Amino acid sequence: MLITSIGQGLLWAPLVIGVFITFRILDIPDLTTEGSFPLGAAVTVSAMLSGQSAVTASLLGFLAGCVAGWVTGILDTKLHMPSLLAGILTMTGLYSVNMHIMGKSNVPLLSQKVLTNYLPATWSVDLQTIVVGALVTGVVVAVLIWLFKTRLGLSLMATGNNAAMSSANGIYTDRMVIIGYMVSNGCIALSGALIAQSNGYADIGMGIGTIVIGLASVLVGEIFLRGRQIWLRLSAMVLGAIIYRYLLTVAMGLGFPVDDLKILSAGILVIVICLPIIRNKYRTRQQLKRYLKQLGADEHEAEPISSLKRQASPEGLLSRDTK
Amino acid sequence: MLKNVSLTIEPGDFVSVIGNNGAGKSTLLNTIAGTLTADAGDLTLAGHSVTKKSVAYRAKWLSRVFQDPKMGTAGELSVAQNLTLAQRHTHSMSLHLYRNAQQEAAYQDLLRPLQMGLEDRLTTQVKYLSGGQRQALSLLMATLSHPELLLLDEHTAALDPQTSAKVMELTQKIVETNHLTTMMITHKMSDALTYGNRLVMVQDGQVKLDVCGAEKQNLRQDELMALFAE
Repeated sequence: MLITSIGQGLLWAPLVIGVFITFRILDIPDLTTEGSFPLGAAVTVSAMLSGQSAVTASLLGFLAGCVAGWVTGILDTKLHMPSLLAGILTMTGLYSVNMHIMGKSNVPLLSQKVLTNYLPATWSVDLQTIVVGALVTGVVVAVLIWLFKTRLGLSLMATGNNAAMSSANGIYTDRMVIIGYMVSNGCIALSGALIAQSNGYADIGMGIGTIVIGLASVLVGEIFLRGRQIWLRLSAMVLGAIIYRYLLTVAMGLGFPVDDLKILSAGILVIVICLPIIRNKYRTRQQLKRYLKQLGADEHEAEPISSLKRQASPEGLLSRDTK
Repeated sequence: MLKNVSLTIEPGDFVSVIGNNGAGKSTLLNTIAGTLTADAGDLTLAGHSVTKKSVAYRAKWLSRVFQDPKMGTAGELSVAQNLTLAQRHTHSMSLHLYRNAQQEAAYQDLLRPLQMGLEDRLTTQVKYLSGGQRQALSLLMATLSHPELLLLDEHTAALDPQTSAKVMELTQKIVETNHLTTMMITHKMSDALTYGNRLVMVQDGQVKLDVCGAEKQNLRQDELMALFAE
């Protein structure tokens, strides 16, 4: 069960990394995800059916995602739409685009060679999935680590952190936001391409709930692996994707029907958002108790407790730190 | 709101801008910086017409220190990363790796004169620095690439009196050693009188007073107060 989760998690990891780029680096909740994920799948499967190799088709899927990200980026920056609305518009538009690419709502692969077929046939499916997932995710992570060590990557981070300061320092923030959207949605579409090959089909509905999956995995990853270095943060995303898959597999093992997985995903997201808030609240209270105990040794005053308690505001994963 | 403002800042000028709340000081500064665009008229920066250009475009010739210490630096990034961003000669879209030991030694040399211990905290995230440290860093960043014009937007207003005095002193030192053309908005009349060779008073969206040189040196606080009251 765990082995399957690792394989599947690695296939989903590019999606989580994509969501991480918009959500954490650029500080934008990008709903394009729900459209670019099936777009990647649709483009890849269609390309493979028309005779392209799995590698070329996957790359085409990635590029299609970049285009989708570019559209959202233009809507957001040049047309000054709220980023949520920009994402919703692209996502909605992509439904029609995906239908046109696929021709019908579900397109199965026939006898086409998918990425895992390049590996020895004697290997088990799980091992093949893990190797392909690890290779693709490894490349994505390596490229992004390099990117964030360049001046361009630094400009991207600065734009997400403090746009006013960035433009005052000569960074064209609009361009940075568009580039961020493109890289992010490229990764997301690539994940769609991998999942479609793993499932053996592309489906118009496969994007539903992917933003929740992505966000939940980002948060889960950050709970288990915290750090500032970019390689650590990206590794946390891969870990998050795997743990999230495992949680879903466990839930299915407990007898939840497949239709209930979406509400389960939503439930997990609620839990991982609330968990750190509760944990912080608890920690603050513990610290306060310890502090007051020290104080209590000298003075017996219970008065300040309630006022201090109210002041200690918990800090959640979703809330940004003070800039 | 600004009405028919015509102001020419000569190279090497240190202009202090004063005025009541709502007089148009910030509007004037924001128009120069590009945060606001003028409805009419022209704006020329170091010989380049920038009337309709973006903030990022103007950054080639212009630097700015904001009033809020949090505005001028990226809190999530480290001290070294912030300094890298302020180096305008490397393009913001370039794919060169930005970290190297030589660079870091150079940054330490830059930070040492601030006497705030920042030279040992290159990898610290800026959000963990104090307001004074952040503002000193902003100042350093703004002057790093020797801008044609340095804009100071009440940059000591959010600091405590002691830190404020220190940052002001630092400002004077940096501006003098680099011969920077500077425009400083301030609420403190004493700062406006002490620093700079020129004083501009903005009232009701217009330049009410513009004195420089000896005339400015002889200006007294009570005279200035009297002008305010008019």
